Amino acid sequence: MEHNSFTYFAKILARVIWDFLYFPIWWYSAGLLKTVRGVGHFYHHQEVSLNFLVWLKNIFVPMYGQHDIAGRLISFFIRVVQIIYRGFAMLLVLIIGLVFIAFYLTLPFMILFAIWKQLF
Amino acid sequence: MNEEGTNFEYNKKINSSGLWLRGCFVYSRLHLKRSLITLDRTLILVRRLVDFIFFSLAALGWLALAWYFYEQRAVLIDNPLKLATPQYYQHPLILVFLLTLFFDLFLYYRTSVAQAERLKMDYYKLRLDEETGQFKKKTSWNIAETLDAEAKNVLDDAYILASKLKQEEVNPRHLFRALLKTKKIQALFIRLGVDANLLVEKLDKHLADDESSAKAPVLGTSLKELIVLAGIEAFKRKQIATTVLDLAWPCYSHDSILAEILYDLEVDDDKLQNVIEWFKVNEELARNYNDYHKAAILKPWGAMNRSYTAVATPTVDHFSSDLTLSARSGHLELCMDRLKEFSAIFDAYSSGQAGVLLIGPTGVGKRTIIEGLAQLMVKEEVPKYLQDKRLVELDLANLISGASASEAQERLLVCLNEINRAGNIVLYISDIEKLMGISSGGEESFELVEVLIEAINRQALFCIATATTENYSKFIEGTSLGESMTTVGVAEPSFNQIIQILESKASNLEARYGIYLTYSALEKTVLLSNKYLRDVSSPLKAINLLQKSVMIANKSARNNPDHVICSGEEVASAIEQLTGIPANKVSEDEGKKLLNLEANIHERMVGQEEAVKAVSAALRRARADLKDNARPIASFLFLGPTGVGKTELAKTVSEVYFGDEAYMIRLDMSEYQEASSVNKIIGDANGVIGYLTEAVRKKPFSLILLDEIEKAHPDILNLFLQLLDDGRLTDGQGRTISFTQSIIIATSNIGSVTIQESMKQGIDVALIKQDLIDNQLNKYMRPELINRFDGIVVFKPLTEENIVVIATLMLKRIKKSLGEKGVDFQADKDGVAILAKAGYDPKFGARPLRRVLQERVEDEIANLFLANKLKRRDTVFIGSNGEIGVTAGRML
Repeated sequence: MEHNSFTYFAKILARVIWDFLYFPIWWYSAGLLKTVRGVGHFYHHQEVSLNFLVWLKNIFVPMYGQHDIAGRLISFFIRVVQIIYRGFAMLLVLIIGLVFIAFYLTLPFMILFAIWKQLF
Repeated sequence: MNEEGTNFEYNKKINSSGLWLRGCFVYSRLHLKRSLITLDRTLILVRRLVDFIFFSLAALGWLALAWYFYEQRAVLIDNPLKLATPQYYQHPLILVFLLTLFFDLFLYYRTSVAQAERLKMDYYKLRLDEETGQFKKKTSWNIAETLDAEAKNVLDDAYILASKLKQEEVNPRHLFRALLKTKKIQALFIRLGVDANLLVEKLDKHLADDESSAKAPVLGTSLKELIVLAGIEAFKRKQIATTVLDLAWPCYSHDSILAEILYDLEVDDDKLQNVIEWFKVNEELARNYNDYHKAAILKPWGAMNRSYTAVATPTVDHFSSDLTLSARSGHLELCMDRLKEFSAIFDAYSSGQAGVLLIGPTGVGKRTIIEGLAQLMVKEEVPKYLQDKRLVELDLANLISGASASEAQERLLVCLNEINRAGNIVLYISDIEKLMGISSGGEESFELVEVLIEAINRQALFCIATATTENYSKFIEGTSLGESMTTVGVAEPSFNQIIQILESKASNLEARYGIYLTYSALEKTVLLSNKYLRDVSSPLKAINLLQKSVMIANKSARNNPDHVICSGEEVASAIEQLTGIPANKVSEDEGKKLLNLEANIHERMVGQEEAVKAVSAALRRARADLKDNARPIASFLFLGPTGVGKTELAKTVSEVYFGDEAYMIRLDMSEYQEASSVNKIIGDANGVIGYLTEAVRKKPFSLILLDEIEKAHPDILNLFLQLLDDGRLTDGQGRTISFTQSIIIATSNIGSVTIQESMKQGIDVALIKQDLIDNQLNKYMRPELINRFDGIVVFKPLTEENIVVIATLMLKRIKKSLGEKGVDFQADKDGVAILAKAGYDPKFGARPLRRVLQERVEDEIANLFLANKLKRRDTVFIGSNGEIGVTAGRML
């Protein structure tokens, strides 16, 4: 195949145009996946640092090695309180994550809407 | 099918040759064409241009926003609530900002795509089946697709190069030539101390074959193979792509001419591999550093575990320090290449043992392994039973201090109890033998260590301890402590491993001292520390030596700011400072000095040509590193009557070879006539320090003079048998002392009379020597000992002429000391001859001469001084009859 300047130019132009065309497709496919993964990592990190599951798993295990009945009882109630508190915190983290994803999804439209409002 | 093959084979299905790796056929296929390369490169430029324009526009948008708020600053201050109304934002500047926001999104998209493209090896897609160890999803893999942008670019360059040279094939040499243009590979050769221009020059001569081809080049088979090997290496190291560093080694190993060229530039297999490893390790360290800190944040901060089931441990906290906490904050050193030891530790715990004892010589890295374990525990990359636990080091000094034995015992008991109840503590005890021998006294004596043994046997805690090999065999082996713990031996790392350990420390040292380390510095550090530093094991001694060398380089850089490189020479200087051993390469000056050794020695020694020659030859061999490394530098037996220069030659050798007479260790063997005096030489287990072993341990580089060896007890002679053969002795404390850097000279008067008489009769020296060995020496020494000496040298009795020369030499010394007092000294030849004759006695050699010179010259001069008859600028002379006189000097 002969390659002169024109064919080069045509090919490069086609690739650059494709870069632009692919942008919206990417936003709602690979880009969305990236955002969801990022939110997932954030959620997981918060889960590990809040230890919600560890508290849930150990709900009947006495804290601070207090194996007597009083210790077990107090420990159970403290753990319930902790689990509720940590559960709420996890819920909050989840909501923040979901809001972020929703924000990502609607961002281009929000910008378009704002521009429309400016013009008309 | 080749499971994890090294043999390339052809695969019809893929129409390519490649390797089988875990059930997957790995090959490399690249479509290279000049037009495609040009297209790719232009496209990259255009994309960069587009990105730049978009970036500028996006920035403009933010500027517009900032400008808008700047304009509205009055409103912002007076009534900020106004900002909440949408109408407030109806403004052209805001419109500009909103429009350019799309460019921000576009740039985000571009960077994300570029980031995703950097990940050429997705280990989720490349995961292996746990049972079979085979790839789950892959049956064939074009590994050329994993080349990162830089590596792909280099390959394109290689193609263009081959095509310009009109070659039929692109071969590894073309690729290597292209690699040399990259910064990373250039840095690699700087580390190796290779002149890049010279390398390029040599390489360019071998780039083109004689035949040129009109067709476009194709990728050669060996090039394809090396891409496969590079890719597999990158995969095994869990890299995200194949880089130029991965290509460098296979390039070298696939081209013999290239290997030859590099060999000429003093680069061999080991050097190249270790330097590549250096760069890769640094990249890995940087990656791990980030991962480590991400993981470390999640480790609980404090004594409590994640589930809050642990118990507060105030006593333990008081008598210990928390290693996991230090590791979490990044205070601990890095641990390299210790997978074997870690798996041995985990195996021991997994098999139900509660105690593990690490044993190894000092400096081998036992503590580093413990610190490595703490770091693994922070990352939670440990078996389940060690997860969510703390590694706590018991501070023995603190535990014992200010307490009686029974109090100490109680403290330990409380600690062990707390650890047991807490359940989240792994106890580390350094130098565990220190716990031994502390007993609570009284009739029912109970040792402190028993408390620990009992806890380990009950499996009440996880315990890990360390001890040196020496202390283990002395105090622990065979005791109940030794039996209750599983021992894990920590061996010295191999040469290449030590190099890699040094490489991991290099960047830290470089940053701290502002010095650039070359590979030769690291190599020399390992070589010289192994050779000359014996007290401590590798890698510690190598690390210490490297640090010292860098400090020396730093010092010289302060005087000469252009010279910031630490090379092998600085390491040799560091060795010289530490041990006094001139470890530098034989310099030109020194080469000349060594070649003229005989003449140098004869400046101090008169006659004895045969002896001087034998000794000089041995020293030259040693300095040129041609000697057997497991034996002393040289060993001689000097035979001859007293006063002929045996000791003088030994002193001269010490001065000429080691630079100072002080390097001579002299043992008068007549002091070692009893069998019990073996202890005096090598010491004993009760703490008596051996005279010889201690002296050589401190100064391995020395001359050992064994005066009148025949007088020593036969048991002592047996010691020397081993010393001469293996170059080492074991002292009373069980340490091995190396004599491989020593020169051993034994002297003996045996057969003096025979020598004198035979010489008078004019018998050949060789015959005299044989006669002495056969008939005289064998009465005192065993034949095997006699044979162990590198040379037996017979010293001739001195002649009258010799004595005159010796007298002249001795008078020169007197002249020198008079010169310091400002008095000149002259001697008449005849006068000297008369003095020499007076001092000559064939039986005692030059010894009476010294007395004669003392009495007739030095004493006279002293008297003149005391009587104030000798002043500055006067001249003392020896007249033609040997008398002393003074010529008055000029008055000022």
